[in-house]
Amino acid sequence: MNNNSRTDILVGIFVLAGLLCLGYLAINLGKLEVFGSGGYIVTADFPSVAGLKPGDPVEIAGVRIGRVEAIKLADDRARLELRLQDGVKLQDDVIASVRARGLIGDKFVLITPGASEKIIPAGGKIRETDSPPDIPDLIGKFVAGDLTSSKGEKKDENTK
Amino acid sequence: MRTQSKWKQAAIAVFCLVLVSGAAPATAGIPTDQIKATVDKAIVVLKDPRYKGEAKTKERRDELKKILFTRFDFAEMAKRSLGAHWRKRSEAEQKEFVNLFTDLLERAYADIIESYSDEKVVYLNERLDGSFVEVVSKIQTAKGQEYSINYKAQQIGSEWRVYDLVAENISLVSNYRSQFDRVINKKSYEELVRLLKSKADFGGAPKK
Repeated sequence: MNNNSRTDILVGIFVLAGLLCLGYLAINLGKLEVFGSGGYIVTADFPSVAGLKPGDPVEIAGVRIGRVEAIKLADDRARLELRLQDGVKLQDDVIASVRARGLIGDKFVLITPGASEKIIPAGGKIRETDSPPDIPDLIGKFVAGDLTSSKGEKKDENTK
Repeated sequence: MRTQSKWKQAAIAVFCLVLVSGAAPATAGIPTDQIKATVDKAIVVLKDPRYKGEAKTKERRDELKKILFTRFDFAEMAKRSLGAHWRKRSEAEQKEFVNLFTDLLERAYADIIESYSDEKVVYLNERLDGSFVEVVSKIQTAKGQEYSINYKAQQIGSEWRVYDLVAENISLVSNYRSQFDRVINKKSYEELVRLLKSKADFGGAPKK
């Protein structure tokens, strides 16, 4: 009898511990996905962000510094709202680019630090953005014998 | 009632006129005009028979440089291309780097610019954002191929100075920034300078 109730209590404690762990996990994940009110927001306009989703990471040199909060349309361009951690300071001339891990991997926003002394304030805008090269488009041009990488630059530079 | 509808018609007509007349300057603002003027000047030099031929290479390049230096901010391009490493360099090093970078651009693009043969330049749009602008244009070849090229410029005084060129969605600054960053991280800044200098010798020698 005594032995039995002791097992019951032990089981109860384990179940409780399990529940607590679950709760902790839920809160942690929830903070990341739902509340996430920490940090500050900057925007960035891209010609295309194909494949990027809200929640995808923002990185500098492979280190996560924030995430994509929202993707909107503004003047036929994609406007990203990025939520960045408080300690992170971005120079005025950083370049944001949408990259993929591997050829078809997950997308993320890569930020390459700039040289400017000015820092982008909360609510500010990353002006320099780079779109991912559209692989089907490149293949199309290659197949059609119209590879822009060398010729395109050629013509472009004519205008200089 | 009659007069009222007439007034209405007149008002609509005036409104339409305003719209039409307003539409033209909206697509081509001052930044576009300034960039177009510089590009046109460069094209005049490229077409000028006085500057044609191998023997005239130096005169032609000097003339082109004179024109392009007024509009293209090569110091800003160099600074942006070096990115975060720029602030770690001394003033003398920064100065040296700007010169090396300008030489690099000349080596990389002079021949391309000089291969110009009657391509058409069309200015499509400009995106103004405070003292920054992106001018969207495209080049049409005689064969009908089209290439996009965007100029990014910032306003300094009354002048718009170009600090980046985006050709077919590939930014010149972004491209160089990642290349320079790779060399500096793998080796050192000194190695980058050495590379830029050695290429300056290789590229410059055979042309003369």
